[in-house]
Amino acid sequence: MKWTRPNDALAAPLEQAVERHVTDGDFIVAPYNPDEGERGGYSNYSYWGSTLRCFLKDRVAVGFMLVLVALLLFTFIQPFLPQQFEANLIIDHPITKRQMSNIAPGLTNVVAQASAGTELIVHPFDNEEWAAVDNIITSIKARKDFTVLRYGEDWCYIAYNGQEGYVRNDFTTKIKFPDDPTATPYTAKSNFALNVYTGPSDMSNGGDALFCLKSQLRLEGDTAVTTTDAQLRLLPDTRPFLFGTNSAGQDLWAKVWSGTRTSLFIGVTVALLQSLIGILIGVLWGYVKSLDKLLTEVYNVIDNIPTTIVLILVSYIMRPSVQTLILAMTVTGWVGMARFIRNQIVIIRDRDYNLASRCLGNSTGRIITRNLLPYLVSVIMLRLALAVPGAIGSEVFITYIGLGLPLSVPSLGNLINEGRKMISTSQSYQLVFPTIILSVITIAFYIIGNSFADAADPKNHL
Amino acid sequence: MAKYIFKRLGTSLLTLLIILTVVFVLVRQMPIEGYFDNFDKLDQAVIDARLNQLGLKDPILVQLKDFFVGLLHGDLGNSARYSVGVPITAIIANKAPLSITLGVISMAISLILGIPLGAAMAKSKSGFWDKFGTVFIVFISAVPSAVYYIYIQSFGSSLLGFPMLFNRDDWRTWILPIFSMSLGNIAYYAMWLRRYMVDEMNKDYVRLARAKGVKGSEITMRHVFRNSFVPMIQYIPTSLLYTVSGSIYIESLYSVPGMGGLLVDVITRQDNPMVQALVMIYSSIGIIGMILGDLLMVVIDPRISLARKESSR
Repeated sequence: MKWTRPNDALAAPLEQAVERHVTDGDFIVAPYNPDEGERGGYSNYSYWGSTLRCFLKDRVAVGFMLVLVALLLFTFIQPFLPQQFEANLIIDHPITKRQMSNIAPGLTNVVAQASAGTELIVHPFDNEEWAAVDNIITSIKARKDFTVLRYGEDWCYIAYNGQEGYVRNDFTTKIKFPDDPTATPYTAKSNFALNVYTGPSDMSNGGDALFCLKSQLRLEGDTAVTTTDAQLRLLPDTRPFLFGTNSAGQDLWAKVWSGTRTSLFIGVTVALLQSLIGILIGVLWGYVKSLDKLLTEVYNVIDNIPTTIVLILVSYIMRPSVQTLILAMTVTGWVGMARFIRNQIVIIRDRDYNLASRCLGNSTGRIITRNLLPYLVSVIMLRLALAVPGAIGSEVFITYIGLGLPLSVPSLGNLINEGRKMISTSQSYQLVFPTIILSVITIAFYIIGNSFADAADPKNHL
Repeated sequence: MAKYIFKRLGTSLLTLLIILTVVFVLVRQMPIEGYFDNFDKLDQAVIDARLNQLGLKDPILVQLKDFFVGLLHGDLGNSARYSVGVPITAIIANKAPLSITLGVISMAISLILGIPLGAAMAKSKSGFWDKFGTVFIVFISAVPSAVYYIYIQSFGSSLLGFPMLFNRDDWRTWILPIFSMSLGNIAYYAMWLRRYMVDEMNKDYVRLARAKGVKGSEITMRHVFRNSFVPMIQYIPTSLLYTVSGSIYIESLYSVPGMGGLLVDVITRQDNPMVQALVMIYSSIGIIGMILGDLLMVVIDPRISLARKESSR
């Protein structure tokens, strides 16, 4: 667009008139001053201030923002809180060394209460504070005869080898009874091994000893009597398994928070890198017309190379680790962002204000940073906010196809993948907890992103 | 128009060649261990023999030439590791129809449900349907699909009594996989249609029509909906492709003998001929899908002309 002189015949008398009335001192040349220019436009209007005010009006989004901030803070604070397990620590039973696997979630690790005066069996356990106890008198091997002295629906009182005690009577023991089981005494047997308890309650961890404070017991050699109401715990420890334990005997609470930390780190880093590269290339692609054809072809090629190949190659070159994942996801993810930015730029590239800007001699760099990008802030923010859960989600997918992080680096991806195997068992909590955290993060980013995009759009200000 | 299409097909062919070459070179950078099941136990002679047999010892340009020559003869080669020695065309011909049927049905359902949902959301802005739809969309995009698929499977089979595993001849086993496949697309279509319709409703011509006294329902149907549907049309071919090739979770959950996840499977097993063949198929469908999307747009909206230079999008 070139400004051409209007008809010279018209212009000449005009110039003469101007020369007649204007003397040299009437006008001075004003130097370019951006601050003054900005000031002239709209007094007292601050873009970010209005954006913030607009955003704060959306109660739901602010609520989710608080939840997200709290969650973020908590993931970082959690390891420093008292009474936490190490995320990768495999917790063993101190005496039998069996893994404490698949323990259901609970607010305490107390699994049995013994009222005052209960007689318990003490196992050797060298500790100042704690005693290892249970109420198992003896155990009966599978298919051994014993005498039933009293029949109960859930518990039977029996005699075996000169000792008397209670055995459980349910689907775990399947004792074979005569036609009339109440006509005691008689001989019976079970196809399973049985534990004989001192009372009609199971005070053990599947046969392993529980732990009780010595101050609540009166020790008498091999046996002990509780002096008050005593709590019998899974471990000589008061730390609860809030989210239970997984099948390897690791504390799921610690693992979930450690995994959230990893996944959020991956998500945020990938989103930032993707946006950085995507915006840079997208702007060039959209604005510089001579690059358009070339970059479109490059895009078509990159977009059609399966992500999995890139992932395998990257994890082959580097060992599977957080950095590898970040690199692989950035390498494959920036094209989507670039295309998005490109499409937006193409839409606004030839609007009149940009044309005017170019005519006034502004450099391409200035037009991009002052005209184009500020206009796109709202949509870029939305994409950025959605890229974080997107990256976390693709981490889940990468783990699913077997290219994810090793299990020793907990992430929401490998926790969900491990939990998936437990879905139809009573251990489905191992899937539920990581899924809830992941969903909360995703919903929060989604809603905050949308609301912020609305707030950042100047049409919604005022 | 015909000239435009030919030109586009020509550039697409070039793109396809570049894609195939890049992928061809990339898969040849894969670790050698990946070609063997028990790499550590084999001695060097066996490894060399096998690599020779796979043709991996030749210079890469010779391999590339052989591949393209085979391609020109319509020969995709034989599978190297997935099911050894079987022609790839046979494998795909066996698996593709099922996946395509599932994908088409699920796409149809997503369109039938997603578009009315999106329209209802736009019409009742901040009314019941809008709130319902928003919750639905947020839920679907927030909960990882891998997770809600499992819940659908376990609840569908335990509470509603649908069979757990897919069986081609029993129509009841088709319901859960198709339902799971459709959810994501329903949310996607509803979300975008709502957004386009809301944008469209704020335009001046709608205000004018309302001022003229045109009935509200007529404005929505004849003006707003038609104009908002134009950008949607473009997604449909590509999204069908994604539905077919991306149903990896669902096909493995219900053991559907289809193509979903086949690509990932052969890549992780490093079956190079299969990877090349699948990449070729998927990217050609993708490219054709994009062209088709553009053509559909022209059919729906006669104002759009692709042949003109500088199209509006």
